Amino acid sequence: MTKTGYRKERIDRGIKVRTDDIFAIGSFKEISYVAMPRFLVILLLIIFPLLSSVTGIYWQNVMLITCTIALLAISWDMLASVGLLSLGQAMFFGAGAYVTGYLNHNLGLSPLLSIPLATVLGALLCTLLLFPIMRLRGIYFGLITFAIPLLMTRIIEATKILGGTEGLSGLTPLPGLTLELYIIIAVTLICVFGFRRMFDTDYGLVLKAIRNNDRAVIAGGIDIQWYKTQAVFVAALPATFAGAFLTHHYQIVGMPAFALEYSILPLTAVIIGGARSFSGAMLGAFILVPISELLRAFSTLRIVVYCLVLLVFAIGLPEGIFNFVQRKYHQIERLVPMGEVKK
Amino acid sequence: MLKVDNLTVFFENAIAINDLSLSINEGEIVGVFGSNSAGKTTLMNTIAGLTLHLKRREQRKGGTRITITGAVNFLGEEMNNTKPSYRVKKGIVLCRERHPVLKDCTVAENLRLGGYLRRDNITDTINFVYELFPNLKRLSGKKAGMLSGGEQEMLIIGMALVARPKLILMDEPLLGLSPLMQDEVVRAVKEIRKTGVTILLTEQYARPIMPIIDRGYIIENGTQIVSGTAEELINNPEVKSAYFGI
Repeated sequence: MTKTGYRKERIDRGIKVRTDDIFAIGSFKEISYVAMPRFLVILLLIIFPLLSSVTGIYWQNVMLITCTIALLAISWDMLASVGLLSLGQAMFFGAGAYVTGYLNHNLGLSPLLSIPLATVLGALLCTLLLFPIMRLRGIYFGLITFAIPLLMTRIIEATKILGGTEGLSGLTPLPGLTLELYIIIAVTLICVFGFRRMFDTDYGLVLKAIRNNDRAVIAGGIDIQWYKTQAVFVAALPATFAGAFLTHHYQIVGMPAFALEYSILPLTAVIIGGARSFSGAMLGAFILVPISELLRAFSTLRIVVYCLVLLVFAIGLPEGIFNFVQRKYHQIERLVPMGEVKK
Repeated sequence: MLKVDNLTVFFENAIAINDLSLSINEGEIVGVFGSNSAGKTTLMNTIAGLTLHLKRREQRKGGTRITITGAVNFLGEEMNNTKPSYRVKKGIVLCRERHPVLKDCTVAENLRLGGYLRRDNITDTINFVYELFPNLKRLSGKKAGMLSGGEQEMLIIGMALVARPKLILMDEPLLGLSPLMQDEVVRAVKEIRKTGVTILLTEQYARPIMPIIDRGYIIENGTQIVSGTAEELINNPEVKSAYFGI
């Protein structure tokens, strides 16, 4: 190592004036630099449902599941942003699914009412359930969220409420696959961009601060319990919606709504895509779910592939694909001689 | 004993240490003085290997890019690419600033951990630490997190001693201590030197430790601006006002 060497310097690419959320845009090039990545994603998602003749019904259905897992992953990312580690996204999913099932099956509400109601009521229910343990941090919170879905299935099995092991079937179907796809894609995009926006505001700053150092936030005169409660409620919304929506898609709700799969897949998606950006969670789901569909032929070997993918990403690219790509997009690197910054 | 040649450290595009060279002879106490953000802690961490460790971790995460160039030579051996644990084995032990003790372990357990790498009996060294800091003996069963700041600083120095170092790096040992406690630490540093250990310490305010150092370096923005014996530094008018408050 000598003084005459070179080092890599990173420079923010881009436009003349930029803060975290204000862009001063001067030319078409700059507009496209900022807007193109977002626009491309939205465009692709809008086009996809129209291509059913090319992709076939099967892949349209895969898209629906992908968006569902993406919503669960976004919800996980939101919880993680306040420092709450959830190992039981299935709880939110199941809550949404069973509430909408009950509303539709027992009270006869149409999906137009039951899905939004189930989203809000399910989220409320989960928030109430988690309220006593919200002061727990890290793995303790995670373990309890992991246990709740398991507990739920046993309760439903033992007490035979909500249809018991057979579940509630014969629910009102949704109008058609293409419309369903558009609805869930719209909700996913709203969640991603909405949450990203939220974390740029002062409210999001408080949430981020709670994750970083909750004692400092308490010292700043903020009631973190109340903020965590709000965060859990907001985080639960996408997940309960996903549950409610998929229930009407399948026209049946049963104990599989609390399946382990709904807890593990979102977590894996976030690890692949990258945490704390929401877009990463979405990207992760869009990579993971189609891959797992392609691997369906290998049956149990799928789990091996999951584990390998998880290992490779956790060790090789801990920041996740999205954060990596975003960094490369926004920065240029160049070699500069060591002596360039001398005194 | 320790020779640092043309050390340069970048954190991303910000330069923390700029072409810094220094050398320490065996048995000396050398002080490095500088204000906040002068590069004292980075210097210590780089000598102890922690900056290299951080660099590799950040590289994996795609985080801050750290560039280290220059040479760290200890007892004739190049240390540039060695792990922190290897450097401890060779005799470089760092007391990090703000006394990061193991809060949930007792004082005795903390000391035992300090000597983990040693194969021989560590009881003698632990007894020496207790002699040096009688307070620690009294508190040996207490949890380290419950100790006061001064006691934790003693414990950190004690932990370093149990590793039986050849060179102790003390990063701001007097930070946040009362004048009385500062005297206690300064006294201990003198005692440690008598056992033949070489000491490199950093401090912002030089006055309390000026009497015990042999030589000193003054750094600003990562570059050395003045160096010399304790006397030369005290008599330098610029240094006087900036670092000794005289």
